[in-house]
Order: sequence, then C-alpha cells, then structure tokens
Amino acid sequence: MTTTEHEAPGAAGTEPEVLVDVQGVKVHFPIKAGVILDRVIGYVYAVDGVDLTIHKGETYGLVGESGCGKSTLGRAILNLEPPTDGKVIFDGVDIASLKGEALRTKRQDIQMVFQDPLSSLDPRQSVESLLVEGMQAHGLAKNAKEARPRLRELLKAVGLPVQALSKYPHEFSGGQRQRIGIARALSVNPKLIVADEPVSALDVSVQAQVINLLEDLQEEYGLTYLVVAHDLAVVRHISDRIGVMYLGSLVEEAAAADLYAQPLHPYTRALLSAVPIPDPDVEDSREQILLTGDLPSPSNPPSGCRFHTRCPWRQETRCDDERPQLRVVAIDGVVEGHRVACHWAEQIESGELQPHAVKAIAIDPSASDTLGGDLMGPASLTEAL
Amino acid sequence: MTSPANDRRKGSDTAPLLTVDNLTVTFQRRGQEPFRAVDGVSFSVRPGQTVGLVGESGCGKSVTSLAIMGLLPKRGNQVTGTVDYEGTNLLTLSDDDMRDRRGKDIAMVFQDPLSSLNPVIPVGLQVTEVLERHRGIKRKDAMPMAADLLKRVGIPDPNRRIKDYPHQMSGGMRQRALIAIALACAPRLLIADEPTTALDVTIQAQILALLKELVEDTGTALIMITHDLGVVAGLCDEVNVLYGGRIVERGDRHPIFREPRHPYTNGLLGSIPRLDTVGERLTPIPGSVADNLPWDHACAFAPRCSQPVEVCTTNTPTLEESGGRALRCFNPVEVAR
Amino acid sequence: MTNPLKKYGDARKERIDQLAAMSDGSVAVADAGTIEEAPGVSLIASAWRRLRRNPVFLTGLTITTLFIFLAVFARVIAPHDPAIGYLLDKVRPQSNPIPGPEPGFPLGADNVGRDFFSRLIVGSQQTLIVGVFATLFGLTGGLILGILAGATSGWVDSLVMRAVDVMLSIPSLLLALSISALAPRPSQWTLIIAIATVQVPVFARLLRGTMLQQRSSDHVLAARALGIKRSSIVFRHMVPNALGPVIVQATIVLATSIIDAAALSFLGLGNPDDRQPEWGQMLGQAQQFIYDDPHLAFYPAACIIIVALGFTLMGESLREALDPKSRR
Repeated sequence: MTTTEHEAPGAAGTEPEVLVDVQGVKVHFPIKAGVILDRVIGYVYAVDGVDLTIHKGETYGLVGESGCGKSTLGRAILNLEPPTDGKVIFDGVDIASLKGEALRTKRQDIQMVFQDPLSSLDPRQSVESLLVEGMQAHGLAKNAKEARPRLRELLKAVGLPVQALSKYPHEFSGGQRQRIGIARALSVNPKLIVADEPVSALDVSVQAQVINLLEDLQEEYGLTYLVVAHDLAVVRHISDRIGVMYLGSLVEEAAAADLYAQPLHPYTRALLSAVPIPDPDVEDSREQILLTGDLPSPSNPPSGCRFHTRCPWRQETRCDDERPQLRVVAIDGVVEGHRVACHWAEQIESGELQPHAVKAIAIDPSASDTLGGDLMGPASLTEAL
Repeated sequence: MTSPANDRRKGSDTAPLLTVDNLTVTFQRRGQEPFRAVDGVSFSVRPGQTVGLVGESGCGKSVTSLAIMGLLPKRGNQVTGTVDYEGTNLLTLSDDDMRDRRGKDIAMVFQDPLSSLNPVIPVGLQVTEVLERHRGIKRKDAMPMAADLLKRVGIPDPNRRIKDYPHQMSGGMRQRALIAIALACAPRLLIADEPTTALDVTIQAQILALLKELVEDTGTALIMITHDLGVVAGLCDEVNVLYGGRIVERGDRHPIFREPRHPYTNGLLGSIPRLDTVGERLTPIPGSVADNLPWDHACAFAPRCSQPVEVCTTNTPTLEESGGRALRCFNPVEVAR
Repeated sequence: MTNPLKKYGDARKERIDQLAAMSDGSVAVADAGTIEEAPGVSLIASAWRRLRRNPVFLTGLTITTLFIFLAVFARVIAPHDPAIGYLLDKVRPQSNPIPGPEPGFPLGADNVGRDFFSRLIVGSQQTLIVGVFATLFGLTGGLILGILAGATSGWVDSLVMRAVDVMLSIPSLLLALSISALAPRPSQWTLIIAIATVQVPVFARLLRGTMLQQRSSDHVLAARALGIKRSSIVFRHMVPNALGPVIVQATIVLATSIIDAAALSFLGLGNPDDRQPEWGQMLGQAQQFIYDDPHLAFYPAACIIIVALGFTLMGESLREALDPKSRR
C-alpha cells in the first residue's frame, strides 16, 4: 500500500494468508431501565452479524457514518467489547472466547491506535513510562533501562527525538501525540493494528504526516492494519480493501479501487457522491445522490434491508422484509472479491432500475442519542453518572 | 444539486455588503503575553456571494467571525479595525444596537447545533422568538411562519416537529433548525462557522445543498468558515486562506485550487487524500502551528514551508494584490498543480 | 518593566537559533515538528508552578504552616502550663469571675485562673490532632471503599454504594453525635472516630465517581488494549488520575472537621478533661460568661475560623491548579 498500485487481494496471484477471520460477530448493548433493579428493555444492535477476513500485510478499511457500528466492531475484534455472538479467529485462536490472562497475553498481537491522542495517553505518565509499560506487561523488558535501545528505535520510527522520552503528553502537539500513541502500539511487536479514526482529530496538514507514517511503518514492520474511519477519502487512500458499514452490518466490500470505480450498493453510491472533492471543476460537474432523512435508531433497526427507509432504489418486493446477505454479483467487470448486500444490485447497475424520490421520515433519535455518539460500550450506557 | 459556476458569480459588480478592514483581535490574558489571534484581516462580501475563510485550528477564522458578530467578550479582548456593513462600522455600535442587528441583518450558524440551541425550549418557539423580537410579529402569527421556515430548510412534518425539543431531533435536523432560526428574519448576511463539521458526510451534503440554494435564491451573502477544502471547492466563490491570524492567499476558487501560489495553500492541497485519484503518496506540511514564527519580523509559516528563502525569517511579507488575487509570500509556488 | 515586543523578539531569535542548530542552517522543521530541549514537566510539577505564584494559595499555606508550627511546638511556646490555675486567687465568683490581663498573662485567665493565652496555644494541638486524624481515617476508609467500588463493578459496587447512600442519608452532625454518645467514655478519640465516620461516605462517593470516569476514559481503554495487568491499570492509571479531587476534598475536610470537632466539643461530647484544652471545648465553656467576658469566646472562635479559612484557601487553590480545564 505504500506504492501507487493497490493490488486487490484475491484478484490475481496466490491466495493471501488470512490473519483475522471475523465470523458472524454481533455486539448488542442492553438498554436498561428501572429504579432499583435494572431491567433490560431493549437492545442497541450496534454490530449485527458481520463476516470479514483480513489478510496478512494488507490494510482493511472500515467506513461508515456515526452510529453504524464500525468502532464497536473494531473493539469487538480486540475483545475490548466482548462480542454477544460470533467468532474472531486470529492465528487459529478465537479471540472472542478468550478471557482473563489468556486474553491479556494475546493482546500483544493486536494493538490499537485511538482517535483522540490526548485522552488516550495517561496524562500522569511520561512518554518513557507509557512506552515501557506494555513491554513490561508482555515480558519484553524488565525495566526502563533495559528497554532504552528499543525506546530509541521506536521514537526514531515514529519521527520523534529522544528528548521526548522525559516529556508528558500535554507538552506535545496533536500530531506528536498521535505518534506517541502509534509508538506505544508498536512497542509490543503486534501483528495487527486496529486504528480507530487515527487522523480525524488532527489538523489537515498533520493528518497527512500520520497517514504517511502509518504507511511507512507497515512496510518496515510488515504490519496488518484495520483502519476504522468516517472519512472516505482517507480510507480510500490508505486501504487495500474497504468494507462499508450501515446500521451494524456490512453492505459492501471490495478492493479500494474497485469500490470507488464501481460502487454497487445504493448506500455506497450515495456516500461516495456526498464526499466533497477539493477541486472546483469536479465539484461543479458532479452528480450527487442526496439521501433524505436520517440514520434510523440502531435500537430499532428497520426490517429487511436496513437501508430501505432511505434508499432511492427501494423496490416493492424483498427490500422491506428480506435481509440481503453479502454476495458476489454476476456483473461484467466486477471481480470476485467485490461483495454487496443488495437484492437489486444487478438491476441498479444495468440501469434497469432508476432512482426515485424518497419521502423523508422524521426519526426521533432521543433513544439512541442518549446512548452516546458511536455507541461506546456498556460502561457509558448504564453507568452514565 | 449541481450548479454551473457562472450563475453564482452574479452580482460581481455590486457594492460589497460587508467590508472587513484591518481587523485585529488581541487576547490579553492575565499573566500572559498579549496574543494576536487575528492580525489585520481584510476582505469583503457582496450580496449573493459566498466567501470562504479557510485554515486549520488556531488560524483565527472563528475569532474573525465572532469579532464581526460582536460576540467576543469585551474583557480580555481588544478588537481594532473596521467592519463596515452598508456604511455602519459594526465595531463602534453599542451593545444594544449590535443586538438588534444580530439575527436581523446578520445571522450566524455554529458548528455544534446541540449546544447552540436552548435545550429547554421547543425548537419552534426558538424560531418564533426571533420573529417576535426582530420583526414584532405576535406569537400566534409567528407559529405558521416558523413552520414554513422549518419546511423550507427541509425538516419533514414541520407542524409536528415545531413542538419538539432539540434533544428529540437528530444532528442534521438540529443544524437545519439552527439554519431556520438564522433565516427567520431573512438576514442579508449569513456567517456559517464549520456548519457541517459535526455532521456525517451524507447529512453534510444535504446541508451544503441547502446553503447553496439559499444563496442562489435569496441573494444572501454567505461567509463560510471551514477547514475542509472540499467544502470550499464546491461552495465558495472567493477563498481566503488564513494562517497564524493573517490572510496568506486570496482568490476565486478555480484559480486558487488550480494554481495555489502560497506554499501553505499548496501544502494543504497536497496533504489531503482525494477520493478521485489513485493513492499517490501525500506530501504533508511538516511540523505544527507550534513551530510558527511571530509575524512581526518574519513569515510565520517559514519553519514549515517547503521552499523558504533567507528573507522569510528576517522580513514580514505583505499581502500583495494582483489580477484578482492576493498573496503574502516572498517565494511563491510557480508550478501549477 | 519588560517590553512585551522585545520579549517577543527575543523569543523569535531563540527560535531561529534553535531551528538553525537543528537543520544545518535551513529553517525547515522535522516532519513531526519541534519539541523543546528542556526536560518534561509533569502535571504535578506544572500545578506546583501555578500554585507557587497564586497569592490565595500562599495565604492559605502561611496560615496552615503557622498553625501546624504552633501546634507542634505548643508546649514550648506557651509561657505557662495550661492546666495550672496560676491566677486562681484573683477569681472572685461573686464580683469578678474572670481575671483580666496582667504582666505575664497577656489575655488574662479563665474562670479557674489558668493562663488563657497558653490555653489557646496548647489548644491548637488538640485541634490539629483531631482535624488531621479525623481526615486521615475518613480518607483511608473512603479510599478503600471508593477503590473497591470503582475498580470492581456489579454487586460489590452496588453493595458498597448502597451502604454509603444510607450513611449519607443521616445528617452528619446527628451521625457524629450518635457515635460519640455510643462511646463508653468521651475522649478526643471518640471525636476523631465520629468525624471520620461522617467523612468516609463523602470520600468513597467522590472517589468512586472519579474512578468510574477514569474507567470509561480512553487512556484506560488504551491500557487494556495494550494488555496491561488489571491491578496495574487500577493503581497506575485509574487511582492516580482519580485522586486529584479527593486530595482537594481532603484539604477542605481538614477545615470542616476542625469546625465539626469544635461543634461536638461545644456540645460536651469531646474530651471532658479540660486540663487538655481544645478550642471547641474552650468555646463551650465560655458561653456562661458570654455577656461579661465575650473575649473568652472570641479568641477560640477566631482561631477556629482562621485555621479553617487557611485550609479552605489552600484546598480551593489546589482545586484550581489541578483542574484539567485550566491546564494549557
């Protein structure tokens, strides 16, 4: 992915090695109510049955709008958010079933980079102790002195001077903090890094620094990335393959170039058409598919195809009552790795079906809004103080 | 929702509605050195024109808008220069006079719609409040007008939604409601400060389409404050790029995107991945705003610049106008993108 | 005296020198930007830097330091033994129960002829002991319960917090009164235990709240993701970050427990042995002479107020300094 050519795995050459196999993962958060005894009155279906595989050495981009469950899925893969159902097979071990010490030691292989670099670094720890801590926890170093050479190497890898070691997180700029976060993830020699919105909290000019850094590190250390982001342009730039999520499930999955060249799902089409492009000529001539209405509440998702309430191609049959599965479609020029969850993908692509107006339905988000933006997890759901 | 660009250049010879001249905002905090957040910013906006103020955090774009609106706290902030709105310098108006202007002549849309709306008052009432205050319309008569406004900004079922509280609306709906409040008195100038930053991209597209339509249909002047060059490319007629509190480059959107002359503008364009081009390696701007030099004796951007020359660290560049563009640079970028 | 513009210019020169040194004469910065050479400043250190310049904190610090000095060396400073009625012969129950000032006895004596000035000074000792120990015990109890509740979840947390709620629902003075009344023999230790018990739920609740905040914070999630051991997460990451408000609260509790101790002593629930003076107890004894000799009440009351103020000032300025929002 550091080169200009994005090679679609599975399209050519040998079958790539699978590093992570996510099978039917669901994360449902109970909604509790009650004065003395908590009673479960419903569920937020944050992730509702996702299958995907991540190949060794690739970058898999997970994209979608807030509330689609992409961050929760990222955390479920690390078992930071225990999946309600499903398996996450990593190197032959089901991470989702691990607990306690077995899970803790397994964490060495899968690391995470967070969105907000300031809040994800303990404000009372110096950079040195932040970086040494993980190495100690996994027996890679006994103490800070022993870890010194490795620390220098890590800082060099993320482009920070050695003086940074004695500093504290609040003394750095946003981009520098994110570099520390990345160095921390690297400190335990992981195989997979889950990056949750790694650049969205940064200034535009700094975003590019971090994106380039992630690319360089991947090449240098042979890392595999799962990048979770809402910014399609970033995901498209950094990823080899992309999965598009809508209301807890994948609606389309394809190699980055294929997805952009030939989006098959109506939601992907709308999403791609909505991204502003910093080029007035392109902006003046492009056609947008404006979606009406808002994202339905994940605690009460629509039946059938989750997108049917906003879909300009919705049909009388199937869309409302039959949930589409990810499938390979038989369209010329669409490669095997391109999967889409739409009953009418072929007809839409051929132009047989034309978009129509959608009457916007007002959604009352108060139910889902109180649960926090991207459905952070049960801690924030039930224990909001 | 596409619109030919030539349509939107209408009124290019009409007189400016608002002219900001040499606007300077200095923060004076106890125990700290004075800090110039906005440093001699000048620009103007005509009816029906959309002017963009672009830059990253700390470039002074939001402070500029607050200063125009007279919303900066008097304590600790020193505002100089002139903000001329049809012959009146807004900076010299009394608080009461300014309050009358706000909402009626100039309205503002903020980034975070939830915190900008009053959480304990139904949205409809927040619209009628403006109508009552500025146009002296009775509440009974204002209600249907409020419903009309909500309908105009694309809120479905407005007669029912008018009684909703802000928390009962989604982010996109709230931003629409906020725009409805801003439009209540048909202001001739609208200032939108990052109006879509908190929204999802599909909702952002809806809001941008709404703003575009508004400018085209009613001839409202729009000052668009954003960090997103994509938004600017689609919406703004004129673009002002701010860095360290000063305008470093100005021009119409086509030339500025096609031939950015300031290394900062060029660097920004090189920093953003584009959806429509195959993954070339990005060319980031090194460092962060913490590396800036003070403008007094240098170009603030020099340490991060891709092509600094000696004079950049010894002299202050001035904003030179030529051929409809303005540039503050000793060693501009020559190559077209 | 300093010209801000000149300082500005100097800063610029330094900046350019620094840049030049870094990159062989050209001004460009590294990709990640520059960081200062100086060693890092921890949050505690930067809070201290702010505190050092804060006149409110310095006032509080001066008062409390003087008070502690006075209390520790009370027996040395006090000119007389507070238990001996030196001026007993001057006490005439009918006409003049309270002897006035005279050489060697600057504030006169009390109703049994003991040197009032010495009693005030020695009184600080008991007040400090009660205040410090009550806060310490309250804090310890609160820390244990708070960490237990905040670090675990589920039924342990529920159990602890319901117990705390019950304790909080009883008016604090009433609770302290009942505990003192239960004691077989009133002494300053009953006072301490009574006041400490009242403080336990306050500390526990406060700490649990901040611990929960920490538990759902990004940096704790990051530590979990890194595979840090649970005990390490609790004691390295959660507790140190949750302690700030508790430390502030402790400083303020020092003040309130001094007042509470005075109140309980005033009500006669403190140490009955008045050879060991205590400000609250002195205040209580003074009430029968309040019309003729208000100074007997005035001095101990003033001492209590000044010391309480000292601790409160310190606590409030600590709160300001430790508040993450005031961090740059």
